[in-house]
Amino acid sequence: MKKLLLLLVCAGAFMFGGHVVLNASDSAQEEEEYYDEDEFGPEALIIWESPVRGVVFSHKTHTYEMGLSCEDCHDEIFEMEAGYAETEDDFNMEAMYEGKYCGACHDGDMAFAANTRCTTCHIGVRGVARLTGESEESSHH
Amino acid sequence: MKISEIEKLQPESPDVLPSQERRTLLKIGLAVTGVYLGGKVLSLTSATNAFASGVVPRLGEYPYSPHYSMVIREHLCIDCELCMEACVETNDVPEYGYRTKILERRRDIIGGDQETIFMPVLCNHCNRPPCVRVCPTTATWKDKATGIVVMKNSRCIGCKTCMAACPYNARYFHEERRAVDKCNFCWDTRLSKGDTNTACAEACPADVRVFGDLSDPNSRVFSLLHTPETIVWVLRPESGALPNIYYINK
Repeated sequence: MKKLLLLLVCAGAFMFGGHVVLNASDSAQEEEEYYDEDEFGPEALIIWESPVRGVVFSHKTHTYEMGLSCEDCHDEIFEMEAGYAETEDDFNMEAMYEGKYCGACHDGDMAFAANTRCTTCHIGVRGVARLTGESEESSHH
Repeated sequence: MKISEIEKLQPESPDVLPSQERRTLLKIGLAVTGVYLGGKVLSLTSATNAFASGVVPRLGEYPYSPHYSMVIREHLCIDCELCMEACVETNDVPEYGYRTKILERRRDIIGGDQETIFMPVLCNHCNRPPCVRVCPTTATWKDKATGIVVMKNSRCIGCKTCMAACPYNARYFHEERRAVDKCNFCWDTRLSKGDTNTACAEACPADVRVFGDLSDPNSRVFSLLHTPETIVWVLRPESGALPNIYYINK
């Protein structure tokens, strides 16, 4: 009986302690990284599945971190409408090498060239599975 | 000697052997080694006439004709997995199995970021295949003409020794066929029917997988491997299996 009591007390202390730590980290994150979606674009990552799977784009990296504004890309390089680029026939690497889409900046001058560092954006089926919380085992068996 | 007498003997394991006895034995061992190897073990001078020929066979030294091999331009792989899909479709690979896979590793790069490197893997069709060596029923062997490591399902007893022996984890047990299955460069499904490319290489949108005959100087695999300033490597060279899947960074 004594042992059980001790266990309960320990469990209680652990849960309480864990709670405090969790709250503290939450508020610290909020203060540090307030992200205004109206100013910087949607925080959620864009994942393209066509013409190939597993390509990622982050508004946050380009606006909040790199300092681009919405007008730098919209509506001339990319339509504002979500998923529009994917419907275009020339949304591919060849077009980017000619300066379209991502290639407008990713030319080796302003940003790393579109024909280098492939896996920065092409995070692959595995990368997407990791992002969406799907375990590797389930996607590879 | 009778069993009953053996049972009475003291065991000779290290914990009961007197240390003097052990020292004597060690001394004998060292003396023998010294006598037989002489200066060779102890000479620490470098071998000046040694040279490194690398992992690619030297010109004209390809054991097979056609000597099928695959060059993987690793840095271009984006893990779209169209190769895996094409393989599954072409070779009737079950959901739990695989003939080729994409592995992934990550490393730290300048600026505090991380870089991902995708690594396509498949059967290496080794020139000295450990899987063939261990098969007790000769259900798998190296094709004399092409060098492809092939399987004969009817001979396979499913002991899976080949799976354990393979340094590349390139084999799986096909439950329905009751036999081990593996990549055979699409031999039965494509090459033997006149096709010149494997399904995975054909499906790759990034031109990562290049398949061909290494013994043909006009083939693309040949020119990729013998281009100046190209670094060529293979996986697990220390296995001594002499693999035929080459990786390059160009």
